[in-house]
Amino acid sequence: MRVIDYTIEPPVVEGNPSLSSINESIIKPLESKPTRGWYIAISISLTMLLIGAISLGVTLWKGVGVWGVNQPVGWGFDIVNFVFWVGIGHAGTLISAILFLLRQRWRTSIARFAEAMTIFAVMCAGLFPLIHTGRPWLDGYLLPYPNQHALWVNFTSPLLWDVFAVSTYFTVSLVFWYIGLIPDLATLRDRTTNKILKTIYSILSLGWRHSGRHWQHYEMAYLILAGFATPLVLSVHTIVSFDFAVSIMPGWHTTIFPPYFVAGAVFSGFAMVQNVLIIIRKVFRIEHIITLDTLEKMNKVMLATGMMVGYAYAMEFFIAWYSGNPIEQFVFLNRALGPYAWAYWTMVTCNVLFPQLFWFRKFRRSIPVMFIVAVFVNVGMWFERFVIVVTTLSRDYLPSSWGMYIPSIYDIGILIGSFGLFFTLIFLFIRTLPVVSIAEVKAVLNSSQPSHGGNH
Amino acid sequence: MENKNSGKEYWKSLREYYDPEELKKIKHDEFLEGAIDFVDLESMPPISRRKFLALLSASSAFAFAACTNYKDKGEIVPYNRQPEEIILGKANYYASTLNCCSRNCSVLIKTREGRPIKIDGNPEHPVSQGKVCVRGQASILNLYDPDRLGEPLQKLSEKVFSSVSWKSAEDQIKKSLNEAVKNGKEIAIISRKINSATALQVLSEFVETYPTAKLYFYDVLTNKNQFYAWKECYNLDSVPSVKLEQAKVILAIESDFLNSDGDFVNQTIRYAKTRNVDDLKNFSRLYVLEGNLTLTGANADYRIKLRSDFIREFLFGLINEINKRVKKQLTIPYNLSQLIAQVDLNVVVKKFNLDEKVIKTLVEDLIRNRGRSVVLAGNRLSKEENILILLINEILDATNLYDFSQSLISLSPENDLNDFQELITKIKKGNVEVLINFDANPVYDLSNLDFKEALKKVNLTVTLSELKTETASLSDFILPIHNPLESWNDFQTYLNVINLQQPVINPLYNTRQKESIILTFVYNEPYHEKMYHKKLKSRWEKEVYPKIKPAVDFESFWYASLHDGFVNLTNNQNIRPTFTLKNFKGSTKTYSDRILLGIHSGAYTFDGRFANNGWLYELPHPITKIVWDNYATVSPAFAKRHNIENGDVIEITNGKVKSQLPVFIQAGVCDNAIFLELGFGHSECGEIGRGVGVNVNKFLNLSSSSRFFDYVSFVNTGKKYNLVTAQEHHALDDTFVKDFHRKRKIIQEGTLEEYEKNKNFIQAERKELLSIVEEVEYKGVKWAMAIDMNKCTGCNVCVVSCIAENNIPMVGKDQVEKGREMHWMRIDTYFSGTPEDVLVSNQPMLCQHCDNAPCENVCPVSATNHSSDGLNQMAYNRCVGTRYCANNCPYKVRRFNFFDFRSEFANDYQYREPLNFLNNPEVTVRSRGVMEKCTFCIQRIMEARQETIEKGIEFDGSGVMTACQQACPSSAIVFGNMNDPKSEIARLRKHDLAYYVLEETNVKPNVSYITRLRNINSEGV
Repeated sequence: MRVIDYTIEPPVVEGNPSLSSINESIIKPLESKPTRGWYIAISISLTMLLIGAISLGVTLWKGVGVWGVNQPVGWGFDIVNFVFWVGIGHAGTLISAILFLLRQRWRTSIARFAEAMTIFAVMCAGLFPLIHTGRPWLDGYLLPYPNQHALWVNFTSPLLWDVFAVSTYFTVSLVFWYIGLIPDLATLRDRTTNKILKTIYSILSLGWRHSGRHWQHYEMAYLILAGFATPLVLSVHTIVSFDFAVSIMPGWHTTIFPPYFVAGAVFSGFAMVQNVLIIIRKVFRIEHIITLDTLEKMNKVMLATGMMVGYAYAMEFFIAWYSGNPIEQFVFLNRALGPYAWAYWTMVTCNVLFPQLFWFRKFRRSIPVMFIVAVFVNVGMWFERFVIVVTTLSRDYLPSSWGMYIPSIYDIGILIGSFGLFFTLIFLFIRTLPVVSIAEVKAVLNSSQPSHGGNH
Repeated sequence: MENKNSGKEYWKSLREYYDPEELKKIKHDEFLEGAIDFVDLESMPPISRRKFLALLSASSAFAFAACTNYKDKGEIVPYNRQPEEIILGKANYYASTLNCCSRNCSVLIKTREGRPIKIDGNPEHPVSQGKVCVRGQASILNLYDPDRLGEPLQKLSEKVFSSVSWKSAEDQIKKSLNEAVKNGKEIAIISRKINSATALQVLSEFVETYPTAKLYFYDVLTNKNQFYAWKECYNLDSVPSVKLEQAKVILAIESDFLNSDGDFVNQTIRYAKTRNVDDLKNFSRLYVLEGNLTLTGANADYRIKLRSDFIREFLFGLINEINKRVKKQLTIPYNLSQLIAQVDLNVVVKKFNLDEKVIKTLVEDLIRNRGRSVVLAGNRLSKEENILILLINEILDATNLYDFSQSLISLSPENDLNDFQELITKIKKGNVEVLINFDANPVYDLSNLDFKEALKKVNLTVTLSELKTETASLSDFILPIHNPLESWNDFQTYLNVINLQQPVINPLYNTRQKESIILTFVYNEPYHEKMYHKKLKSRWEKEVYPKIKPAVDFESFWYASLHDGFVNLTNNQNIRPTFTLKNFKGSTKTYSDRILLGIHSGAYTFDGRFANNGWLYELPHPITKIVWDNYATVSPAFAKRHNIENGDVIEITNGKVKSQLPVFIQAGVCDNAIFLELGFGHSECGEIGRGVGVNVNKFLNLSSSSRFFDYVSFVNTGKKYNLVTAQEHHALDDTFVKDFHRKRKIIQEGTLEEYEKNKNFIQAERKELLSIVEEVEYKGVKWAMAIDMNKCTGCNVCVVSCIAENNIPMVGKDQVEKGREMHWMRIDTYFSGTPEDVLVSNQPMLCQHCDNAPCENVCPVSATNHSSDGLNQMAYNRCVGTRYCANNCPYKVRRFNFFDFRSEFANDYQYREPLNFLNNPEVTVRSRGVMEKCTFCIQRIMEARQETIEKGIEFDGSGVMTACQQACPSSAIVFGNMNDPKSEIARLRKHDLAYYVLEETNVKPNVSYITRLRNINSEGV
């Protein structure tokens, strides 16, 4: 049995790479021609995006009737996807802001990528509220702008809170990400010989000269933004959960939703980041920077949040029973035993059972196992939203108006399209910007730490 | 006005003052001089001044239009000469009569700017009393049906028609008619039953002019067995109505008197009066004995399930049992008394496995309430069964309840189906030269006969029809006729009243009044729009006017009658006839081991004459909730035994007749029987009706005394068919979801006894609800509705009325399947009990206009909000369509325009002209992507409010009627201002039996339901 000395923090970056080799390994993909693999990958994602675009085009032309939504199930894949993508977007800010404030140095190597994913995921998410409306050309009505009709938005509606929450989250994430990028953009500027790129990098790096004064301001700005972003991590999904919790539908109207949703969001976000990073570190050969230790830590977070989600599932049943409300009780029994039981049990299996493997160090550190578990977690979390949205609506108060929801090919097309958009943006990102923060990684190298030759 | 010097008379102009006679003349004309001149182009010189000016202006307009980028901007242009009667924005009402069935209900037609938009019953009419049936409400759609024929058509070859001028069609037909007479060949005129003395006169004049002509009348859903029975028992040619309102115990035998069985309006109005929770002494008890589960059965206090062919035996037993105790002296034939004596009711009960307790209670009730108990016979029963029921009524002194003043009569002769068989034989022999289908569709209606082949043998077939029906498309000439709303006529269905039909709109197309077409052949003169009008008027002057002897001259009488829509006849039939039955044909054999086929009237499609009316197809069946299809109804036990499931296609065989239908398994249906509904399966009629369901007319029985029953066999074809229901059904034995409507207190019911003992039994169950926010106080008017579940029969008239009032589109079968029907109001049906002995509870469900409406606070743009008078409003313009409101509605009454349904359904059918005329101009036509729902007919509220503002009086909310309320035949719906302590609604809100659906959600609904009381004995079932 290996003895771990917990007094020594394990190195974030393995080996002892030189500062220039860090530059080289991270910037290499930006300076070389795209590989064949990249072309294949982006053509697949673009095809998916096109499928989504066509499905969306048909929807806009004919109406949301081409989807499976109906009475009583007024929301289907549209809102399921929205909540799913907002959830995915949660890991980024959590890693970059909260873990930053908590001085978790292992976050350094994955923060940049996670943040980028956040932004892309929120872009995917933001699409759905816009297109799910019956008359998307009037979406502007959801903004409180002064007008001659003296019409004002309804501040009691959680959908309106959504508008603010998601747009604020997106803005802050974007700024936070950009501020973090400035030193790296300056590095890129200094390296490139291409005139056009140099101009672009020069503008984007805002005249960064790596001076001590710059660093001092930068650190302060980053800290403030981290502090600013932290409550947003909690607020966005809390507010998304209000879409359901504020309603009077049995199965939606529960106070457990905000923490349950935030935990679920972090859970699925980490799973998605882990999935993509496993591929990136392999393809870009930066396993020494995004180390197995880092991945293991992520798996631990997933185990923890997965347990929270499992607790919430159990607690929902308990409260339904404890409340003595037969309608509420039926909704939960119906989830587990009704016509959508398959979706419920998919959710439970993927979200609660599979992550239990992470109790074992062997599985936590096995790339194939963690990859598959994280895929399951993403599937499970998508189904969680499906269970919440669809099963509740399909059988609510009046048995006379119960009805089944069956997604149409356009629903599926738009879901595929959202993945297409997400991955297309990721593929463009990895070709244009450093996927790991060069400046920050340099700061956590063993060689950059004050050293007393191994003697404290 | 006679006395010019009398100071009391008012005059409007000097002309009126000096020359009242002339003015009187002007007034007597139907339309003001000049108002209809332009219609009558034929009688004008080829180029009149008007026409010249029209041509001049048209040609210059065209010239200008050609030079500019002219585009119709669809602007609304005011009249440049406003018609006298019309005030823009104000509705005009005209009384007229419909031909939906052979009852010919008197109606009041609402027109706006000259366009009829809504039909309701004539409130002053002694029978309709302001109500019509579902078809009456929906018949407005027929007028504007884009598939109506607009031009006469001549057949060129198989299925190829070309339009032809009226003149040439007339000439060719006339030639054939004369030839037929010359050759001594028959001219056959086939018509549905006609209750118009004038029209019958026209036809008989035709027969006089063309002596070889013969008339044939049919009525698929005939009630002639009742007439036969009354003739034999009482020597009467009429059938009296039953004063159900005075009945204490009603036994309906195979009689769907609350829906499809003929006198729907009359009987529902009367029946509802006996279900008054504030008059418990006279609360009736309804027993229904039937095979299939009908809406009447669903309303029964006790439902006795008995296969329809065993009814005769049951009747013998019942008479035997009752007369044993009542011991009434009767003059009945010996063989009948023998038949009765042979059957012991207890044996019958055992044999058919009936509930002994229920039968015992029934017999007790009938006898104990002698004089106030009555047995109703279904239309579909044979003559003998009708006679037996008359006999029971005689024993029970139910004759007290016969309303002889309101007797049904049958002006029209009605031929036996065998006469039509003979006609076909004659045709096949080549003895029939001309066949005229006088608004009849024998190829479809009598498809148990071989008209389709026979028509090929006729030299000339002429069909007068509104639609290109099955018969029309096989005819040599199709002559398009006026819709009833464009026609003149008179009808008499009851002894005491004659209804008038008057046109309420100029003909939309180049159509003609069907009687006038016949008259052109009779008079041998060119057609004139007023031909039949004149005939009608002169008949009234000669025949009706002298009978009534009013104190005014004929013209005044005529206009008064037109205004009222009917005239009352003095009734001279007060003598009660005596029961004298001379002979009784013996018993027929029943085969309990064979499968019985029972044919019913379509619940809403009736006999199929409303072939292209989508409203009726989309209206959920009152029991099964199936839309856009008919099917074979079987019992669960039967299905289990034969291993068939819902949607399995079976082939039913009766001799040579075969047909494939999907199966629907319905709880509460008798075993070993298959039930079918008429009115579906048109192969020709128009875009909407073509291919909807299966034509089952071919199973109508030719040989038996009732055409609606027969024995058949069937096989399972192994095919599947998709039947669509508007409401998901949950298996009665699925414990997971069983009886939720009761557990959740959606349906609350009690028994009469329970209520008599404890008036508070509903209120005691209610719990006080706490609210954490301050409730809004409504001062002034506050709207609320109460629905009395004792009176509501679930007949769906309110739903169609709502469709017509609120411009609700059809969506089609596929969209109903997806759960996207648009009806703002629906009748929810819940089943409890066992699959064999089922209890049905209906409930009209519509927007509850909650005070704490959950839909309102979740709308991000405040498109749905609350008015100061308590309405939950929708601002369509503001709605972006997030559907959050619908999700959050616990009653799921919100409807979303997932598509532009008008263009999505049936190739833009609903956008075709002239359907745009159908829309109520006071109600927005909603676009795609918008949420909608019941508004409590806000347009009617606003109209009433506006009137009070005009008059400068305070608006107290009285006098507003929602469309559903107005249409409800049982007056179960009450609407009004609950803040007005004098109002009916205020009283009902505080009623002991009032409850709110899902009250515990604290949404504070404004629709209250009055608990249904089932009148059953505690020792009974």
